Amino acid sequence: QATAFGSGGADPDAPVEVESDSLSVNQGDGTAEFMGNVVIIQGDMRLGAPRVLVVYDENGERIQRLEATGGVTLVSGEDAAEAERADYDIDNGMVVMRGNVLLVQGESTLESQQMTVDLNAGTAQMDGRVRTLLNQRN
Amino acid sequence: QQDDEAMPAMLVADQVRLDGRTRLVAEGNVEVLQGDTRLRAAQITYDRDTEELLITGPIVITNGEDELILADEARLERDLRNGLVRSARVVLDQQLQLAAARLDRVNGRYSQLTRATVSSCKVCGTQAPLWQIRARRVVHDTEAKQLYFDDARFEVKGIPIFYLPRLRLPDPTQTRATGFLIPSIRRNSQLGTGVKIPYFIRLGDHRDLTITPYISPRTRTLEWRYRQAYVNGRITFNGAITRDDLRPNKTRAYITGTGVFELPRDFVLDFAIESTSDNAYISDYSYSDADRLESRVTLSRIRRDEYFAAELAYYHTLRVNENNSTIPSIIGDARYERRLFPRAGGELRLTAETHSHLRYSNLTVDGTDPDTVSDGRDLGRISAGISWGNRWTLPGGIRAAFRTGVVVDAFRVRQDLAARPDSVDQVTPNAQLILRWPWTRQDPGGVTQIIEPMAMVAWSGGQRPNLVNDESTRVEFDEGNLLALSRFPAADRRERGLQTAVGVSWSRIAPEGWDAKLTFGTVLRKTADPAFSASSGLAGTRSDLLVAGQLKNLNGLTLTGRGLFDTGLVLNKAEARAHWNIGRYDLSASYIWLSADPAEARPSAVSEWAFASSIDLGQHWTALVSSHYDIAANQPISAGLGLIYSNECVDVTLSASRSFTSSTIVTPATDFSLLIGLRGFSANTSGRGATRSCN
Amino acid sequence: CGFTPAYGPAGGASRLTDRVEVSEPSTTETYLMTRHLEDRLGRTDTPDYRLSYDLALSEERIAITANNITRRFNLVGTATYKLETLDGRVITEGSVENFAGYSATGSTVATRAARRTAQERLTTILADDIVTRLIAAAPSA
Repeated sequence: QATAFGSGGADPDAPVEVESDSLSVNQGDGTAEFMGNVVIIQGDMRLGAPRVLVVYDENGERIQRLEATGGVTLVSGEDAAEAERADYDIDNGMVVMRGNVLLVQGESTLESQQMTVDLNAGTAQMDGRVRTLLNQRN
Repeated sequence: QQDDEAMPAMLVADQVRLDGRTRLVAEGNVEVLQGDTRLRAAQITYDRDTEELLITGPIVITNGEDELILADEARLERDLRNGLVRSARVVLDQQLQLAAARLDRVNGRYSQLTRATVSSCKVCGTQAPLWQIRARRVVHDTEAKQLYFDDARFEVKGIPIFYLPRLRLPDPTQTRATGFLIPSIRRNSQLGTGVKIPYFIRLGDHRDLTITPYISPRTRTLEWRYRQAYVNGRITFNGAITRDDLRPNKTRAYITGTGVFELPRDFVLDFAIESTSDNAYISDYSYSDADRLESRVTLSRIRRDEYFAAELAYYHTLRVNENNSTIPSIIGDARYERRLFPRAGGELRLTAETHSHLRYSNLTVDGTDPDTVSDGRDLGRISAGISWGNRWTLPGGIRAAFRTGVVVDAFRVRQDLAARPDSVDQVTPNAQLILRWPWTRQDPGGVTQIIEPMAMVAWSGGQRPNLVNDESTRVEFDEGNLLALSRFPAADRRERGLQTAVGVSWSRIAPEGWDAKLTFGTVLRKTADPAFSASSGLAGTRSDLLVAGQLKNLNGLTLTGRGLFDTGLVLNKAEARAHWNIGRYDLSASYIWLSADPAEARPSAVSEWAFASSIDLGQHWTALVSSHYDIAANQPISAGLGLIYSNECVDVTLSASRSFTSSTIVTPATDFSLLIGLRGFSANTSGRGATRSCN
Repeated sequence: CGFTPAYGPAGGASRLTDRVEVSEPSTTETYLMTRHLEDRLGRTDTPDYRLSYDLALSEERIAITANNITRRFNLVGTATYKLETLDGRVITEGSVENFAGYSATGSTVATRAARRTAQERLTTILADDIVTRLIAAAPSA
């Protein structure tokens, strides 16, 4: 069953690369804050944002979840989504984007207040006065 | 319209699930907007590949306010212009309801309903509506605004009445479409029972022709109406052509027409024509109750300070006591008036007038016609006048108006041996002073009373020449000319010498309460004027006492009346009108009493009343009653009775009228007419009937 | 008894004299009506008030003979009027209604002349009624 978002290549277990202008690590609560043109790549999914807070698991080796804020773009295959904020819970493979969400899939675009992508089930759901143009298929 | 189609449809919903690459499932207040079409549904699944919307109800589709579609389930294309709707109920123009098992939408223009029922009646529970049309198929063309029925069966209360393989009816928003209008059944004691079936033919945007065959056992008639609108005017013609048994193997016809045109520099040209083949035709078929046919063309320009009107008129009399060759039939009139306001004050008024009338006959003496005027008399006259006037407020609050001037008239009389000399002219200098002294009193409750004594003194010089009197033979006297300089209707007679008029009027004006007005007046003159007839009330040196009054109360009654009382307060003339509408009753009545006066061709007193009333009987029924009754002759002139039933889906008008008048050309006749109109087709059904309630 | 001259110092009617602009006529009957209203109220090029009116005339047959000849017509007139200041404050408004009869038993030209003067008489009666109501409302002008 084709995945609703992205090209199906998104794999929550794949390694996560993070690039940013600066990094500050907080040993106390096991978090790291990447600042400035942050780009996170996992499989064929790329997430860009001005600020991303990364939360590691108890023993600090694996990233448990990410919180990207300040205007996020998420690209997967030929789909792209923008929102004010995105929370990626890697353990259960759920990406929740909030605030003026704009999803572009080929010719059609969808706008809403929130989008929830379940990478394992390959489904996506948009909520909060969703609007879309049923325009010409190219 | 074109850009509407190109515009993509917008889908809005509380929640959209993306199901695989191609399907969106929208739920929660789902709407699709496209042009002025709006679709609301519980759930819509959109498949990007097939570009189809699978819609589950309840579905509401609206196209502007003209079309509303309710359905349970639908499958439509992306632009809502094509697709299928299941168990659809369509409401057109909030009036006509179409229900169908299936509705196919084609190109956003046609709706094809299969196994449809069409009605504009309110459906109560499971009862069959008052009327409905069942059809195997109904196609609604929203652009041409037409409804096409296949295998249509017309049912009243569920009972099939008639079946038509194909039927076309205009949809409720259609205002000008070629097609049948509402037929009516007529029963006339002379013509038997007949049917009138009007057919409207639209000739482009600016012209139309309505032809109405009227067929009965004794007549084959074609009535027609032609209308045309121009950039600067419009014309309307009505007429009919008949072969009937009343005048066997003779073609009878009538035509009436009116038109008005705006010309450059504010001139207006308007005309009216009336003509009939034989005198009895228009009353036999009750096309008109005129007893003289007037055709005229008028050129006029009317402004605040300048009046110009020129008219040419032609008369054809249908009166049994008149002969077309001895009545003035060709008449020419032109009037000009100019008002100037010199710096010195007051108003300078210039007037000019010409009038001429011609009688066909060339006989220079009175022949065998009923009047005593030489049969061929023709007359022409021309007048020119100048006057100056002003008005002041004198101390004590007296309003004075003074006007003085002179008018010169010249007359030519032809073909009348008795009229010697046959050309006459007269000069009439005149002066008039009018004084009004209104007193007011404000009473509690915003009531104002006004008492206004008024007086006028006037002098007109010149001697009345020996001149025929064709135009000033009927003179009236009321509050409108109590203070006039001369009360004769035309220049062939003018009041002369010294005269004075005195009067007083009392008015009560109450914004919330009842209004009333009462006026008394009389005219005193040095020498009596023989040209005034006895019943005019102005004969002798002291005129009749004029008493006029009006009462208007809050519950819709307006009573207006006036009377002329001769010496010894003997009634000489009385006329009254009443209009009363209160709650469900609307009544208007008028009364006239004129004393006998041979000079006005009235050998005996005339006394007649007429009334017309409509009564709302409730439950959609309205009764109409009207009558003219000649009290002096103690016999009815005409009576009418009507019953109208009108609800949201049908208009039924049953009317009966009886005319008792009879003469060589008019025969007493009783007319019945039954008009059944189905509401909901074409926009010309009158207003919205009150919708019944299910109880 | 409480009455005072309307055009006297305490009356208030003089406020309207030569201060009212009557609406422009376009037909014979409105020409006659406007001329008579101006005869009574005066004229000005710099008005403080504007008097607008709508005049509707109709004709009824009355006194019909047994052989269907109409011996008399009633010319019925209704005029709705409104007096307002230049900036639109309504001083008074209302409607007046009356009729003038004219005989039709004379010749065709006699009936035409009678109809024309009936129009003059009716517009005079309606104009006088309006002026009387303006005088009554003048104090609040």
